[in-house]
Amino acid sequence: MKAPAEGTLRAIATFVATFGIGVATYIAIADSGGGSPVCLAGGGGCEAVANSTYSHLLGVNVAVFGIAGYVLLLAASLLRGDAARMGGFGISLVGFGYSVYLSYLELFKIEAICQWCVASAVLMTILFGLNAVRMIGYVGREA
Amino acid sequence: MSGKSAREERREERLRTESEGDKQERRKRLLQIGSAAAFLVIVAVAVAVVITQSSSDGGDTSLEDVALVNQELQGIPQSGLTLGEQSAKVTLFEFGDLQCPVCKSYAEGIVPEVIDSQVRSGEAKIEFRNFRIISQESVTAGAAALAAGQQGRGWNFIELFYRNQGIEASGYVSDEFLTEIAKGAGVPDIAKWNKNRKDQAGSLREVQRSTEEAQRLGLTGTPSFAVAGPNSDGFEVLGTPGDAGTIERAIEGAS
Repeated sequence: MKAPAEGTLRAIATFVATFGIGVATYIAIADSGGGSPVCLAGGGGCEAVANSTYSHLLGVNVAVFGIAGYVLLLAASLLRGDAARMGGFGISLVGFGYSVYLSYLELFKIEAICQWCVASAVLMTILFGLNAVRMIGYVGREA
Repeated sequence: MSGKSAREERREERLRTESEGDKQERRKRLLQIGSAAAFLVIVAVAVAVVITQSSSDGGDTSLEDVALVNQELQGIPQSGLTLGEQSAKVTLFEFGDLQCPVCKSYAEGIVPEVIDSQVRSGEAKIEFRNFRIISQESVTAGAAALAAGQQGRGWNFIELFYRNQGIEASGYVSDEFLTEIAKGAGVPDIAKWNKNRKDQAGSLREVQRSTEEAQRLGLTGTPSFAVAGPNSDGFEVLGTPGDAGTIERAIEGAS
């Protein structure tokens, strides 16, 4: 099966990464004010997740790492060449893996679902898919 | 002339083929690196899940009702072991023992009704006071609740403890159990909580003090309730009312 045009993959990745920066920034800002993101459908899921010990890594809110990840993915989507293809794939792979782990924690340890975290996990999954197709389809080829 | 040209063409063809081969080789190598990275991430996630699972005290003690408790208390201010607006005119006091099964049934039925009807609205606040009637483990548990209260999660701790309560004085109130409750309650700094709950002059002393207070008031069982407000007769002891309506009427009468 032929991979979609690399330009198309990069354009979609640019859009999704930008959206991801917005979501992660909102979570980080809500946390920095001592609160938690507001779940749009109500319920205490976002508060429970934000207040859990899993919401911070080395004392830093995981959303901050999320922002950094999305910024790097945005850069990878804007750049050409194998370094960007491999870099985008590697970063989205780590982001996707961490999203899987966080989703596991939400479902089985914290027993609460935060819509914002789910949104971020979905965006990271899409980015992983796009970057994987880009890497498999175009790595080692002309930029 | 034409011979040279043919040689050059063959050479160019050979270089093209070699270059194409290099590209294919490079592409293959990069794909291998990508596959290895994907494999490593899968392994890392699996290891993280296993570690998280095993660090939760045997892995089979998952807490009940974490989301329910968080939802029940969401948006209501807490200070120490007081739930509700500090400015609320009436204070409802609950003297309870975290190991007490009757307190558990109140925590699951009657108290949430009062929280919904009068605490959430700002009409009253509830203050939990430890009244040790069962065993020394009640003191340990009460001190842990007070330490959680110091980080604004006292009521989450109390409610979650009740919903995961074991058989009284059976030894289930272990450090591991309490830590799991604290984590589930969302206590942000577990190390600080651990230090505070073992503070002889602080939390442990406070459990002793509130137990003596309950005894002075003549309370004999848990949970026992009392109200204080602008229209109450001072600290008005309600005893152990069998329904939420009695407590709600007492709060209205005191306001």
